Amino acid sequence: MAEQIIIAIGREFGSGGHEIAEKLSELYGIKLYDKNILQNIAEAKNVDVANYEKYDEVPKKMIFSRTVKGLSNSMEENIAQLQFRYLEDKANAGESFVVVGRCAETMLKYHPALVSIFVLSDWEAKVERIMRIYELSREEAESFIFRSDRKRKDYHNYYCKIKWGDSRNYDLCVNSSRLGEEETVLMLKEYIDKRIAHRAKKS
Amino acid sequence: MAQILAVIIFVAMFALIVTEKIERHIVTLVCGLLVLVLVFGLVMHSPAAIWETLNLRAIFTLSFWYPAGQGGEASAGINWETIIFIAGMMIMVEGMGNAGFFRWLCMRIAKAVKYKTIPIFITFMLMASFLSMFIDSITVILFLAAVTVELAQLLKFNPVPVILSEIFCANLGGSATMCGDPPNIIIGTSLGYSFADFITNTGLIAGVCLILSLIYFYAIFHKQLVQKETLDIASFPEPKEAITSKSKFTISCIIFACAVVMLITHAQTGLSVAFIGLFIAIVTLITSGKDSMMLLKKVDYKTLLFFVGLFVVVGGLEQTGILQIIAEFIGNISGGNIKLMIAIIIWVSAFASAFIDNIPFAATMIPVIRSLAAMEGVDLSTLAWALSMGTDIGGSGTPIGASANVVGTAVAAKEGYPIGWGKYCKAMAPATIMVVFVSMIIIFVRYL
Repeated sequence: MAEQIIIAIGREFGSGGHEIAEKLSELYGIKLYDKNILQNIAEAKNVDVANYEKYDEVPKKMIFSRTVKGLSNSMEENIAQLQFRYLEDKANAGESFVVVGRCAETMLKYHPALVSIFVLSDWEAKVERIMRIYELSREEAESFIFRSDRKRKDYHNYYCKIKWGDSRNYDLCVNSSRLGEEETVLMLKEYIDKRIAHRAKKS
Repeated sequence: MAQILAVIIFVAMFALIVTEKIERHIVTLVCGLLVLVLVFGLVMHSPAAIWETLNLRAIFTLSFWYPAGQGGEASAGINWETIIFIAGMMIMVEGMGNAGFFRWLCMRIAKAVKYKTIPIFITFMLMASFLSMFIDSITVILFLAAVTVELAQLLKFNPVPVILSEIFCANLGGSATMCGDPPNIIIGTSLGYSFADFITNTGLIAGVCLILSLIYFYAIFHKQLVQKETLDIASFPEPKEAITSKSKFTISCIIFACAVVMLITHAQTGLSVAFIGLFIAIVTLITSGKDSMMLLKKVDYKTLLFFVGLFVVVGGLEQTGILQIIAEFIGNISGGNIKLMIAIIIWVSAFASAFIDNIPFAATMIPVIRSLAAMEGVDLSTLAWALSMGTDIGGSGTPIGASANVVGTAVAAKEGYPIGWGKYCKAMAPATIMVVFVSMIIIFVRYL
């Protein structure tokens, strides 16, 4: 039986982290979890996924929620927790997968199969990429990147002790603009293969 | 200077409670300490104000435990009667929950109505109202919402409309009695009103409003609750499975019945609610045997400490005359018009309670209405009922207004049924406005 592998990818907006995650999931033939986690939860609960999407990976709005007896009625927090539980269940069930964002590097830190990666990129490369994909002007793209990263940072830092993008929180931090997406994926695969082999040897 | 400091501390306390950066009991305790040291000590040089606000002497008087129908003393500072009563009820409720009482009751009722969604919807609203008359609405909604989600998954219906209706009815039920909602306990113990006073005044208003609320929620939600498929109910969990121990269950039912009887008759027996709370707690602990330590550990001490600090901070406003100024202000803008005065109290209370915790609001407003009644020669009880209905019902208006709303929406969201502000307010804000308006009309018609 193949060794379980969980690849958690944190990423800056526009760094190509999501595409790298997609390629890794294809290379290893394992599931990719991103927004589709919410789709899976919604189907199981017989709820329209639109009810979840607006709360996905967004920071908790402080004055619009309260906590009573340890129960928070922040929808952002509850949707985040639903996703954390979903990932934990999958990990504990022995499933191999790639997960994008969702604080997975912290939530699954205890799991021996976890390989955590943070993908960053040069500012220029990110701006060009976002301008190309979303057909935006430079100014719009810069503002979009700034807002998206701030949202991701606030979301992450609310649930995790170690800050978003802090190298101490990940096994590997990689700048995707150095080698480009394709070669970055190959480099990461090499590292992940070594991790799998290392773990197999240990067990 | 003392007034400015007291107001700054009060506003800072509210802001810190809202932001939830620091636990709210720590906020009120630290702010309370600041009031005692800075306002009463350094600025006012008044040990008497400190002593009066701590109000410890009251506990050691006979009338605290056995007022014997003399009516409560209008005391300032920490309302120990409220704190002891709430602590006692917490222990009783923990005992009931531990025995499986709430889950059993919900499942029993669902089975009695043959697991049909519309009857479940109606009966659960009625049950939320009834239980909240005697038990804090947080506990009621905690259990009711959890069972509603469980039933929704079994019966394939959307639990959100049912949970929203339960929340509203729990807040409404809480307004009917002296022990239903913390603002009522504080109003009752501070102003010396009995259970009977509440049930015959706010209880009557709540009863009328409950009928209207049932009609309203049925009208807006019944289409969402149509049962599409027939289900094999034989495979559903048996209500008795909820009972963890038959003996514990029987004992907790008897204790609950005793608490209800003692509360209903406390004006006749002359016992204070503090006595009833303490008695019920002692009986629960004695009958719980080895579980008594576990029950004691489960008491929400943070809420009790929150009350202690809160009463001190409000005491600071009272001792420095700030609340007198607010009362004079309300008196001036109403120009002696009692109807306007009541309208201001009920709508301001409702609006404020929709956004901020209604407990500190009610605690702050009690000295205000007391001063207002004395200044304007208005019947204090009429203002008290307006304050009670405003704070209890206004809290239903937004997801953060009352603790029951927070718990209900949190339980739903945790199980994958998010209730955002839009969805919540669309259903609950009109109901809140309707009930506050009807309450105001009833107060006008009945008392003026």
